[in-house]
Amino acid sequence: MSTCPAPSSYANNVAMAMTSTTSSGALPYLGYGLGLRVEHYESLLANPGQVEWLEVVSENYMVSGGLPLVWLDRFRERFPLVMHGVSLSIGSTDPLDDDYLARLAALAQRIEPAWVSDHLCWTGVQGVNLHDLMPLPYTEEALDHVVSRVKRVQDTLKRRILLENVSSYVSFADSQLTEWEFLAAIAERADCMILLDINNVHVSAMNHGFSSLDYLRGIPVSRVHQFHLAGYEEGEKLIIDTHDAPVSNAVWDLYVEAVRRFGRVSTMIERDDNFPPLAELMAELEHARQLAEPLLRDAA
Amino acid sequence: MSALQAIQQQMLQAVLAEKAPPTNAIRSDDIADVESRLAIYRHGYRIRLRDALRTEFSGLQCMAGQRFDALLDKYIDAHPSEHYNIRWHGSGVAAFLAYARPWRDKPQLAEMARLDWAISTAFDAANETSVGMAELSSVPPDAWANLQLLMQENLQLLGSLYNIDAFRRAADNGAPRPRLRRFDQAHQVMVWRKGTTVHYRKLDPDEWPVLAAAMRGEPFASLCVTLAQHHDESAAMPRMVALLQGWLEAGLIRGLATV
Repeated sequence: MSTCPAPSSYANNVAMAMTSTTSSGALPYLGYGLGLRVEHYESLLANPGQVEWLEVVSENYMVSGGLPLVWLDRFRERFPLVMHGVSLSIGSTDPLDDDYLARLAALAQRIEPAWVSDHLCWTGVQGVNLHDLMPLPYTEEALDHVVSRVKRVQDTLKRRILLENVSSYVSFADSQLTEWEFLAAIAERADCMILLDINNVHVSAMNHGFSSLDYLRGIPVSRVHQFHLAGYEEGEKLIIDTHDAPVSNAVWDLYVEAVRRFGRVSTMIERDDNFPPLAELMAELEHARQLAEPLLRDAA
Repeated sequence: MSALQAIQQQMLQAVLAEKAPPTNAIRSDDIADVESRLAIYRHGYRIRLRDALRTEFSGLQCMAGQRFDALLDKYIDAHPSEHYNIRWHGSGVAAFLAYARPWRDKPQLAEMARLDWAISTAFDAANETSVGMAELSSVPPDAWANLQLLMQENLQLLGSLYNIDAFRRAADNGAPRPRLRRFDQAHQVMVWRKGTTVHYRKLDPDEWPVLAAAMRGEPFASLCVTLAQHHDESAAMPRMVALLQGWLEAGLIRGLATV
């Protein structure tokens, strides 16, 4: 499969992004973006508004051909893209899936994303895929296991990856570390970056009774390179990370704290279901910008 | 077995089981008990697979009607997902319906699932080029006997005794559920992709053996012999021309070769 030639507009976007790197090193700062979903393909191309970049779900485009790749190429001409996977299963005790990695690498070669991310979790074991972001026990054993696998993935992709914190509903008796200590240790030891999902921090904090501010304070500033903002659903006892609702006030408040701590970080709204008109997501994105930019200006 | 492996296997069993076996591995606290916590994962697993299968099997949903959700649940229970792409969990639905009771007594369901899955796999199959009339016309007359029509790799022929294409079409168009019809003889439904659009249609009785022969790589002379079994000499030639024109228009031929 040939690589789509980069039109000048795309090349300019990338060039501009590459010149405004954060303290995290070579990865570019992209501004304010959205998760690309089929429901918004046409409206986003017709009216991109102030959307500066897009995050694509890697697995949706790890296909041989057809319409998904046609759309992907269209967006690649207009926006800087980043790849976000859900099936790397970096924490599984099953072997890494070589076919998956090869397809992931091929997609990265095709669209040249600004970066590639997945989740700090496992999605299956014993050959069964649960299609969920299952939490890990925060143990030295799990730490060693994940670090070695992140290094292998980064060697295969020839780039540093970002790992995202997941929302969780269980925690394990064996855990010796807090979630943030575990995430920070993996980033440092594997030399990978962090995609901090602000909603997931809040959801897990509520479900496990820890402080979301302690979480933020425990994450090294230099490792955070992307924020996700999303919504959740109130359950009977727990709050459920549905990513199908507007960003809550509690998450907006936590986002402000995150901007204060981490500074200028590429930020996006991630909606996975119950899709509103694109304008509503753009309004949320604009709200993020309005919250962050004054703080960033004051800090500068 | 390492402690990490043990925890993951316990979690796996807890998610797949109707009710979680007791485990000390998971913390309970004042916020929620272990069962409530595990139930979220168990519920999510089933919902995600159901949603993915619903998207892929719209014809089957149309045909099965109110039994569709029960059918999906039984399939999900019997076949844990194995592929990283949730969509590919659909690859075993037709085979499941063909052997599992009570659905194996209604073979139209397995046939319907085969058509849905063929459409799904054609959707993102590898891109292929198509031969046009000009390219075919440039073949010298004396080369036609040994001419091989290379058909699209995504082209699939599905045998069926039922009007499965009508159910899929109703699902695609949001039309009312058609009446189930069983034919005396099996017919063939062709599934293919032209550009980015997946198509399907029932083949005429004289067309499918010729198309099947072409897909096997038989030379053009052999295709003519096959078609001649359905027509006398005067009718066979114009019919072959019509078939070729239709295949070209549908983009079914990806290349030409000589046997």
